[in-house]
Amino acid sequence: MPDDLYLDPELQQSVILTKVDWLKDWGRRNALWPMAFGLACCAMEMMATAATKYDLDRFGAGVFRASPRQSDLMIVAGTVTHKMAPRVRRLYDQMPDPKYVIAMGACTVGGGPYVKYGYHVVQGVDLVVPVDIYLPGCPPRPEALIDAIRKLQFRIAERGGGTLTQIDPRPALASGVA
Amino acid sequence: MAKTSPAGDASTNEADPITKAALDLIQRELPDAVVASESGGKHPWIRVKPESLRAVARLVRDDEGLAMDCCHLVSGVDWQADDELEAVYHLCSYAKKPDAEYRKRTPKNDPWLCIKVRVPRGAPDVPTVMDIWTGADWHERETFDLVGIRFTGRKELRRILLPEDWPGHPLRKDWVTPATYHGVPIVPPEGL
Repeated sequence: MPDDLYLDPELQQSVILTKVDWLKDWGRRNALWPMAFGLACCAMEMMATAATKYDLDRFGAGVFRASPRQSDLMIVAGTVTHKMAPRVRRLYDQMPDPKYVIAMGACTVGGGPYVKYGYHVVQGVDLVVPVDIYLPGCPPRPEALIDAIRKLQFRIAERGGGTLTQIDPRPALASGVA
Repeated sequence: MAKTSPAGDASTNEADPITKAALDLIQRELPDAVVASESGGKHPWIRVKPESLRAVARLVRDDEGLAMDCCHLVSGVDWQADDELEAVYHLCSYAKKPDAEYRKRTPKNDPWLCIKVRVPRGAPDVPTVMDIWTGADWHERETFDLVGIRFTGRKELRRILLPEDWPGHPLRKDWVTPATYHGVPIVPPEGL
């Protein structure tokens, strides 16, 4: 807040001026609640990311919710089969807006090793739900998932008119495990 | 032929005692049940008629010497050239596993028995063994799901892995991959 002689000094210490969009997205990006939802082996890495060693809570994204109605991030961790695809879509539809999707792992990004002969595997979850971040790897390491979540947070911030320095003034943390 | 492993090579040509004992037992109790058999080789088996499958199953399960109390696996084979489907039952014995003398009689040190049944592709009806080995339930459903062998005389036989409305049985040799399933493409992209 600019210095203003006519304003009460107390007020200058207790009021911040900002844009409402930025404020809303600040809340959204720092309290991403992922859905507790794993389809295959990538879910193991997702669990490891949330556990003590990698501690996803540092980035505000460690509160895994057991209900799509309480979550705003869907990490599609694992092979999506044609049998599972309608269920994935249904879970996505049940999530309240705004909602984000990370396609985690080679299978989810584009069918992975099953793309040629696996008649049962959907060739990328983006055929079923809109995807924000693609995270390749088989499976991706926890650092990679943290990176994907950080990139999603950057994207949310940019949409609200913020800049990268406003999101994370500590670049050491942004690059992975502290 | 190249030597793959010393243990496998030594046992290739001698007859498997468990299969041999089972063959003797079946031929003694049910003289016209066996169609063909192979008691040597790396994977000995006995092929029986579909109508005598249940009698053979009870026989090898209840016999004290064999005691095949576990149906380890049911799978299916599509013999397209012969216009036949084959159901393959892999059996083993937990009752006999701790028995060191019994295990010595088997080349792989494991009491295994393989029973096969062939049925025509047009009418692939195989009697169920679910009431003989309860564990065969899901295996029969999987074999029906992927190969299309109909197991008769059991409770509901429905798909277990694929969606209920999936077209056909994918592990049959003449199955053609549909272009889409509910609007989602199945056929791989060009160039792969």
